[in-house]
Amino acid sequence: MALSTLKDGQSEDAVAESSAGSAASGRATRRRRRWNRLTIILFLLPALVLFTLLVLVPILIALYASFFRWGGFGLPSDFVGLDNFTRLFQDEVFLGDLWRGLVLILLSIGIQLPFALSIAVLLNQRLRGRAFYRLLFFAPYVLSEVITGVLFTMIFSPDEGLANHLLEMVGLGHLNPTWFADESLVLFTLFLVMTWKYFGFHMILYLAGLQSIPKEVLEAASIDGAGSWQRFRHVTLPLLGPTIRISIFLSVIGAIQLFDLVWVITQGGPVHASETMSITLFQFGFKRYQVGYASAISVVMFVISFVFAIFYQRYVMRRDTEGAVTAMRGLR
Amino acid sequence: MTTHTAHRKRPRRPAAVFRSLSTHALIWVIGAFIVVPLLYGLISGFKTTSDLSTNPIGLPEDWVTGNYTELLQSGPFWRQIFNSTFIALATAFITVGVAALAAFVFARFAFRGREAMFTLFTIGLMFPFAVAILPLFVMLRSFGLLDNPLGVILPQAAFGLPITIIILRGFFRTIPGELEEAATIDGCTAFGFFWRVLLPMARPALATVSVLAIVTSWNNFFLPLLVFTDQQWLTIPVGIQQFKGQYSQDTARILAYVVLAMAPALAFYSVAERHLIGGLTTGATKG
Amino acid sequence: MGPEPFSRRTFLSAAGLAGLSVPLLAACGGDDSGDSGGSAETVTIEWWNIATTEPGKTLWPKLAKEYEAANPNVKIKFVATENDAYKAKMTAQTASGKLPDIFHTWGGGVLKQQIDAGLVKDLTKDVAPWLGTLLPISLEAYKFDGKTYAVPFDIGMVGFWYNKALFTKAKIDKPPATWAELIEDVKKLKAAGITPMALAGKEKWPGHYYWAYLAMRIGGLPALQQAATSNDFTGPGFVEAGRRLKELADLDPFQRGFLNASYPSSDGQAAQMGNGKTAMELMGQWAPSVQSDAGKGLGDDLGFFPFPTVDGGQGAATEVFGGGSGHALSKDAPKAAVDFLKWFASIDVDRRLVESKGYQPVVKGAESALTDPNLKIVNQTLGSATGFQLFLDQAFPPAVGQEVNDSVAALIAGKSTPEQVTQKITQTAKSQ
Repeated sequence: MALSTLKDGQSEDAVAESSAGSAASGRATRRRRRWNRLTIILFLLPALVLFTLLVLVPILIALYASFFRWGGFGLPSDFVGLDNFTRLFQDEVFLGDLWRGLVLILLSIGIQLPFALSIAVLLNQRLRGRAFYRLLFFAPYVLSEVITGVLFTMIFSPDEGLANHLLEMVGLGHLNPTWFADESLVLFTLFLVMTWKYFGFHMILYLAGLQSIPKEVLEAASIDGAGSWQRFRHVTLPLLGPTIRISIFLSVIGAIQLFDLVWVITQGGPVHASETMSITLFQFGFKRYQVGYASAISVVMFVISFVFAIFYQRYVMRRDTEGAVTAMRGLR
Repeated sequence: MTTHTAHRKRPRRPAAVFRSLSTHALIWVIGAFIVVPLLYGLISGFKTTSDLSTNPIGLPEDWVTGNYTELLQSGPFWRQIFNSTFIALATAFITVGVAALAAFVFARFAFRGREAMFTLFTIGLMFPFAVAILPLFVMLRSFGLLDNPLGVILPQAAFGLPITIIILRGFFRTIPGELEEAATIDGCTAFGFFWRVLLPMARPALATVSVLAIVTSWNNFFLPLLVFTDQQWLTIPVGIQQFKGQYSQDTARILAYVVLAMAPALAFYSVAERHLIGGLTTGATKG
Repeated sequence: MGPEPFSRRTFLSAAGLAGLSVPLLAACGGDDSGDSGGSAETVTIEWWNIATTEPGKTLWPKLAKEYEAANPNVKIKFVATENDAYKAKMTAQTASGKLPDIFHTWGGGVLKQQIDAGLVKDLTKDVAPWLGTLLPISLEAYKFDGKTYAVPFDIGMVGFWYNKALFTKAKIDKPPATWAELIEDVKKLKAAGITPMALAGKEKWPGHYYWAYLAMRIGGLPALQQAATSNDFTGPGFVEAGRRLKELADLDPFQRGFLNASYPSSDGQAAQMGNGKTAMELMGQWAPSVQSDAGKGLGDDLGFFPFPTVDGGQGAATEVFGGGSGHALSKDAPKAAVDFLKWFASIDVDRRLVESKGYQPVVKGAESALTDPNLKIVNQTLGSATGFQLFLDQAFPPAVGQEVNDSVAALIAGKSTPEQVTQKITQTAKSQ
């Protein structure tokens, strides 16, 4: 498909946008066009080859496999149509994944992002050590999920961990929670770790957005007698709109794809209480050897992300689409 | 307080002082939230495991440096650091090189199917790595790329393309068309313009995407785990997992490893921070 | 090997074909008909194992070196991978259609899948001459349709390991022989303020031991084997096993936070036992060595008793549940790999494994190397066993095995009923 579009482009006589205005003889233009065509092909080729071979083909294989009952060995032969998908939507664990995904998304939007935003606002003031704080708050983002996971597993260990000792110090020792081992608490503890690791990233996005708001606008509002909250509510927030929408978008996609952190800390337990779609996928693909079924999960994950992205871009982001996907990969 | 502010031209009102103090207090609380886990790891690495289990909060009874020094003297640790670094740099180099060429075409040429193809790349973003891993593994084996750094570098580059192309295209578009005209009149070919004019101008954006690619590669766990069997190619995250399995009972030693593994990432980050943040800023607000 | 200067040349050589692994690849490529000509050509065999913990961590690489020294034309590429990572890697390897020359296996369903995919060497002929030197029970897990696919190096059983001092403190004078007594003892321990049992809830497999043993004691071994072939686990014995387990779980016998506890970490199941914090654990023959690795170890305070019988149940106390480990070969492993397995299963090597206290003897006569009284008891119980059942999560196909682990874990956590457990396992088994 990709290659055929390229051919179309060729017959179209590719024209460099900039050369349209230049006054050149017909011969020169034709030569230029030929050059442009060559440039397009040569420049796109490496990306297309790499992307097709290592991203698209595996994805298509996964799509194909999702229609088979397949253990992952040899070629898939036991065609089952949509069976894997119907089974998936009766699978309590998977339905639970969807629910837990939603909870994480709501927590992120309701707590993590406002938290990041308030800090960004604080750090946007003239403040001694601002650069240092910015450096500090963003630091967890560059640490790997495995490192973060190992560290926090130890911090939240029920008996020897730091967290419970801190609780004891502030007189809450009687609570003595078991954190990751408590089904009703595990998702929130995990969210706490996610916040630790990822809020800095959103904070940076907001800081960037805040710094692009012209000072004159805020000064004008303040001359008009607006208090600081009103200035924030009626000037800053609306102007920050595009950034906030991007940050929500990234946060949602990140929550849908969450894997490494959960894998290292709880492997989805106790009793699926922290399981995400990626974890279920991994359980089936790597532990149960039900690769067909696992592929169906991957297809559903993709469809969910994709549909969300389309709707979000169409109805929420509208104009400010371009930057939307900035740094998404980093959010996994 | 008054004596302190007295010599300023505009003495601050008490309310303002209070506000600034409470701001600082708040930031310190949040800073503690970030720092305490890191400090806990750092200090725990200086304890013995039995000291750690009875006394997780305080300073070590005796400062044991063995956990750190033994690691710093161990060949595998440095080997892993080197592998992670090499793979991250190579990944960034390929990702950014390949993506820049494509982004240039997407940004500066008009041809039929351009948007469709661009969309195809953006769709790649919606596909998590975990999903493609089994088919990908089978393909890497048939290309003979197992136990070969390229087996990690190339897929990482491929999965990094979408985001890099998107950011770079956005940036390339902001460069005025007149520049290209001028370059063309001076006899520059398309490649000449790309190489001599566009890339130097795009340095901040290139730095950003490079840093992103490096961070993603540095943290990748699953692909290196599957691709590398030979111990000599292990990367840091896989090494930690391995180490944790080996010394599962020796918590303090694991924490020492975790801390040492963090150090290069944090050091790199403190150097690259300006670029990363600067670039995300432009990327995020261009719309 | 320290970091090298990052030059264009090193990059190119690494990018071309990992400079460092070229000799190895070349060796792999060379055909192993080594006896042509005077100087034998070197054969490299790749040996994947999970010896990342003591005693294997030190002993095994040493053994590999010794073998290389004795067989100069053989080079062993020793690859030790941590247990969980090993399983993930093996799945990927299996999917890609090529396994390492020699690889660790627990036998049962996973090995069966690899055999069905045509990736495992049939060893029947190769091992026939010396198979008689091995304990028959140790070979069970690797036999399919009368053919042998792996050579064991460890075999054992699951039973209760208990802390004698804590039992005495709770005024329990002898280990329980029936389930009812066990329940009573758990109550006594709790009353004395002692955590009765340690369990690694995060890893699920330790939990399935309880259910499997109960099913064996209540419904009997034949019923379990029958269910495995008919894929029907809804029989009364299985439901009753779930009820009895629930009865135990309702007493809240496990350590705090057991649901996210791992087996070997410093606050995990083995450490709980090893540091004398809990009174017992249901675990395999490796328990003592992990206890003293993860914790301090109990020394003489450690005791062993077989899983109790259940009143009115069909099963006998002499029927054991357990498993072991072995090595299988890839379809086209060189002949040298077979020779290596033969050597590894020789009485001399087996005695050294046994002496390291991490393994139970698989070679007849090696049991005299056992010094630890508890390990001797395990060995004797195993030797006089009247029936044997392999770990369910190994014996069954992977999907069924994982479902057993998952649903029993849910039962222990109070999130599932005994009936739901049997239904879920049956459903998964039938969909295979």
